[in-house]
Amino acid sequence: MIQFHRVTRKYGHKTAVCELDLAVSAGELFAFLGPNGAGKTTTIKMLSCLLRPTEGSITVCGHDTVRSPREAARNVGYVPDEPHLYDKLSGREFLEFVARMHGLGSAQTEDRIERESDRFAMRDFLCELTETYSHGMKQRLVFAAALIHDPAVLVVDEPMVGLDPKSVRMVKDLFRAATRRGTAVFMSTHTLSVAEELADRIAIIDAGRLRFLGALEDLGRQTAGDHGSLEHLFLELTNGNGRAPEDLAARSESDGCARTDDNRRG
Amino acid sequence: MVGAEGLIGAADEAAAFWWLRRRIARTLVRQTFRRARLRLVMVILLSGALWTMLYWLFAEGFTFFQSAIHTHQLLDGAVRAVFGMFFLALMVMLVFSSSVILYSTLFRGPDIAWLFSLPARAERVFLHKFQEAVLLSSWAFLLLASPMLLAYGAVGSVPWYYYAMLAPALLAFTYIPAAAGAILCLAIVRWLPRGRFLLLALVAIAVLVVAAAYAASLVTETTADFFTPIWIQEMLGRLRVTENRWLPSWWLTTALLSAARAEAAESVMFLVLLVSNALFGRQLAIAVAAKVYRAAYSRLHTQRAVRRRAGAAWVDRLAAALTPMLTPQMRLLVIKDLRLLRRDPLQWSQFCIFFGLLALYFISVRRFSYDSYHVVWVHMISCLNVYVVGLLLATFTTRFVFPMISLEGRRFWILGLLPVRRETILWSKFFFAVAGSLVPCSLLVLLSDAMLRVDALVAASHQVTCLVLCTGLAGIAVGLGAKMPSLRETSPSRIAAGFGGTLNLVISTLYIVAVVLMTALPTHFYFAAIHSEAADLVVARLNLAPWLLWWLTLGTAGSLLAGAAATILPLWIGMRAFRRIEF
Repeated sequence: MIQFHRVTRKYGHKTAVCELDLAVSAGELFAFLGPNGAGKTTTIKMLSCLLRPTEGSITVCGHDTVRSPREAARNVGYVPDEPHLYDKLSGREFLEFVARMHGLGSAQTEDRIERESDRFAMRDFLCELTETYSHGMKQRLVFAAALIHDPAVLVVDEPMVGLDPKSVRMVKDLFRAATRRGTAVFMSTHTLSVAEELADRIAIIDAGRLRFLGALEDLGRQTAGDHGSLEHLFLELTNGNGRAPEDLAARSESDGCARTDDNRRG
Repeated sequence: MVGAEGLIGAADEAAAFWWLRRRIARTLVRQTFRRARLRLVMVILLSGALWTMLYWLFAEGFTFFQSAIHTHQLLDGAVRAVFGMFFLALMVMLVFSSSVILYSTLFRGPDIAWLFSLPARAERVFLHKFQEAVLLSSWAFLLLASPMLLAYGAVGSVPWYYYAMLAPALLAFTYIPAAAGAILCLAIVRWLPRGRFLLLALVAIAVLVVAAAYAASLVTETTADFFTPIWIQEMLGRLRVTENRWLPSWWLTTALLSAARAEAAESVMFLVLLVSNALFGRQLAIAVAAKVYRAAYSRLHTQRAVRRRAGAAWVDRLAAALTPMLTPQMRLLVIKDLRLLRRDPLQWSQFCIFFGLLALYFISVRRFSYDSYHVVWVHMISCLNVYVVGLLLATFTTRFVFPMISLEGRRFWILGLLPVRRETILWSKFFFAVAGSLVPCSLLVLLSDAMLRVDALVAASHQVTCLVLCTGLAGIAVGLGAKMPSLRETSPSRIAAGFGGTLNLVISTLYIVAVVLMTALPTHFYFAAIHSEAADLVVARLNLAPWLLWWLTLGTAGSLLAGAAATILPLWIGMRAFRRIEF
């Protein structure tokens, strides 16, 4: 579903993402972790066709995000960390526009809006202008917009920020349901407990380099024994002195990108 | 229509974007009618008053042309020169304004990232923003051009199709520089993203310097007396640059003047030429956008951010030293605003460019000094210079001072949690605006008076007028800014372009016009009466001579009163609103 092939993105001379190689398959929930400025948001922006890789390529359902951005975007539902909503549209109008852009007919649009407003419990406020929405209401609307066209890939940047416990539960259930339907979910998050609870596989990125890629159990095995929580392992991989464990560090040395200490750019 | 990959066709995509625009516009109109009816009525009335005044001025001007220039060929040439120069200047300005507006909407707009995550064509997103930019950058053009063109039609008794072709000709003409500005913007961001501001600033400065030098040469290098046939011939010769056949401004001028002369075939031909070029420019811009927009967006947003160190500069220390009369809290607020302004070169560079150009022009007007020209003319020019400074200042108070309160909106928790009275915040903005505008304006007016070698008493009166204008304009901008804030808006240019900003500009302009009518006119007539050889026809016709001293005295007192009212009243209204405002 998603394929990163030796993707590098530079900001001037600084490397934000360095030779990233990874693949996410259908029905998989993939958690993308890393400290602030590690390159998570840059990776997600490249995946959702906003930024172009300096080197390498990304494909979504076989469509290259640079050569065929529309075809790639057609298969992606994107939930950004700071979503944009048109203040002067109602939630329903916003969803209608997104549905039209994805080529849904009138009847289908109506059905999908009904479906999403039920799923995200939006009936009470869907006809109000989005300028009146709380953060949680906006987030629910953005999720609905991302899913209205039944995308093959759901890309989510920091899904839990600012959500109340009920909404967090709703999002978790949504992810589980989406993966059951065969949707690939690519989630970037700082909330390690969510990754721990939901993810089939995780990737840890630091200073633009992939430090770990695999299942949570593999992480425990690759670091110095099983330390228990993901938090502990995460901090060990991205610790204060920036040194990765021996075996992973050796891999980083051979990845061909010059090490820069200050490429802390999302 | 949905394609093989489930992508919608171009027509459906266009329909979806128009649907989006219609929905947003409908909501905006409804909200305005529901929540801000009075404000809407005020803006319409004041804009109408400004339009009527411009119409009257242009009608008087064209009537004067007809009475002063008796040769048909010269009259035709003079009108053609006025139109040509007007449209050429606006065309250059439209290139820059559309380029700047498109940069902020195409590359910095908050909705672009979201639109690009949808399966939307890059060229459709571009066209959506381009049409908005055309509308935004052309409203001032239409406000200025329509009274001039209608006044010409009324004075010249033109056939009906002159009026019929005004709208399509102006619209088509507007599209051409807007398309050029769009292509310029896309090309700069795509290929020169690093030096985009410097390049644009250099080009703008170069164009403005050439234009100012040219304008100054027009006024100062004449050898003949005003409005003699030789002077007009000389002027037409100098304005020949506007006669270049490749310029769309010339096509528009020719289309309109041919229609005015009842030469229907020629006017339609030039209208068609304008429309076809407008459509070609639009298509070219779309083609460029399809090719480079996404790449340019990506390139711009992956520029390495420049890290800037900031510390206490000598400017801040100087400002602190020069404001011992302020309370410490107010001084801190003033210095904070000064820091925010000077660390944003996009803001103050515009100020420097326009005031710098005005200074260049003032330096070059010394030819009009008392030694060379009649005192009445010299005095009139010195007065006009004061009001040009005032009008320029009005645009700057609208652009920079009016949005200051709105910009505090999202960060008001900082000020709100401090032990500062809200009035102190407003007074600090007022002081900042007065001090920031009075120094450059006063120096500019002094420069103009020195170059023209006007009498010391006249120069002193100009300084007083300058003070009255600066305090009044600052009072209006700060007061209205507090009364009509746009607390959700983060862009100062959008705040200035909104209802409140427009109202501020209109009220500021009316205030300047009122001060001009109360002081400049009687002063001009007074000087004309003293120097009997240049006695003004109006004075003689209306037998105004015995009343001039009264008019002058009352006018001066009236302008001082108007200045006090323009300062106190908006500030009082603003303070009341600001005390109650909830952030």
